[in-house]
Amino acid sequence: MNLFISQVSAIVWKDFTIEFKTRELFSAMFIFALLVILIFIFSVNLSVVEASEVGPGILWVAFLFSGTIGLNRSFALEKENGCLMALMLMPADRTAIYFGKLISNFVFLTIMELFILPLFMIFFNIDLLEHLFPLLIVIFLGTLGFCALGTLLSSLASNLKTREIMLPILLYPLLVPIVIAVVRMTGQVLAGEPLSEMMNWIGLTASFDIIYIGVSIMTIDHILEE
Amino acid sequence: MVDSQTSQPSNPVIEVRKLRKEFGVLKALDGISFNLERGEFLSVFGPNGAGKTTLIKILSGLTRPSSGTARVAGFEVEGGHPEMRREIGVISHSTALYGDLTPLENLIFFGKMYGLGRLKELALTALEDVGLAPRRHDPVRTFSRGMIQRLSIARAILHDPSILFLDEPFTGLDIQASNVLKENLITLHNKKRTILMTTHDVSCGLEMCDKVALQVMGRFAFFEDVEGINKDKFEEMYFDAVRDKQFAMGIRHS
Repeated sequence: MNLFISQVSAIVWKDFTIEFKTRELFSAMFIFALLVILIFIFSVNLSVVEASEVGPGILWVAFLFSGTIGLNRSFALEKENGCLMALMLMPADRTAIYFGKLISNFVFLTIMELFILPLFMIFFNIDLLEHLFPLLIVIFLGTLGFCALGTLLSSLASNLKTREIMLPILLYPLLVPIVIAVVRMTGQVLAGEPLSEMMNWIGLTASFDIIYIGVSIMTIDHILEE
Repeated sequence: MVDSQTSQPSNPVIEVRKLRKEFGVLKALDGISFNLERGEFLSVFGPNGAGKTTLIKILSGLTRPSSGTARVAGFEVEGGHPEMRREIGVISHSTALYGDLTPLENLIFFGKMYGLGRLKELALTALEDVGLAPRRHDPVRTFSRGMIQRLSIARAILHDPSILFLDEPFTGLDIQASNVLKENLITLHNKKRTILMTTHDVSCGLEMCDKVALQVMGRFAFFEDVEGINKDKFEEMYFDAVRDKQFAMGIRHS
């Protein structure tokens, strides 16, 4: 168990060290998310529609699309120079590789989301501070599900020449339940409803998070093996 | 085809029996059998596409064989037992290093993955052994091919494996880098590491090894102790093999 934790933390440490040096991933994700929000700002007439009605969908589109950039990069980094092969040769449970990548992806995306939220608040003139705690819970659940499934599919797509195309094609349809749930919950949070009013959606999202992680644990060994 | 089981070693570290690997209609390995004892060094020569890399991938547990068995360090390779993986070090065509990290960071990362202690000290010693200690803080992507190959060796032996698989380690190296690599391999051989190396460099391969194999079309067409092998004759035979892959159907001895 100690070795497992040590391996997971080593992968996270390695991903953070590389990102700290290159700043490739964060800047790409952040700029993309910002552009998505800006495009929607100019295409939606906020004097006609309520910002709290269209805002949640726009926010999650920005999060998920920019997150996909991060996921594509996640295992591509390991494929470069055959590093994944070296990881496969380690005396490790291969779920350690999955959890290491999952934590890295989750933290990168969460940091990016935390940078985007204030800008979203300014552009849409929505006071998020009032609803910050429930909003963060919704973001946590949605981001976890996205990263859990995305990390698995990213490892699968990394073996394909067309991985940049295949990842979203595989990922988005399977994410539909979580996307619907988090957009609905975000809307309810912005409308000032308490979390207790959306327990069904929270339960649904948490269940899918668990299912995605469970399926990943069961299949990652076969996916990583040639 | 040569059956290399005729001289049965007492306690083989690597034990391969009728190993086959097929990719559709292509037979990458076609019934290879051989044994290697502890501390033995086998050089495997063969033309491109002979299945040498596939052999190393199967022995290191990265690919499953279609049929046949292989045991490495007492473990079945199929499924890649973690204890088996702890016993092996692999140097392949790809460097298996992160270009944005420094050599020290690379070795510390891989050391953590092996669960090693006193990592910084260990990594520094490994870098000194391969002559890269002065460049320990430079990003690996700024290194020459030879330096990267030396760092790959440091990575592969960091956890002190008893068995090494080297897939054409001399490819792309200049004479100086080749000599450094050769010295490193001789040192490892002297330390009783069991080594299986694929190479196209006949002089180098014959100079260091105890046993020689010539792999053609997925088979060992030749498998002998290096003693008594005439280098010129072997070279001629190897060139024949490269020229004509049908060589695999014949049996040659020096």
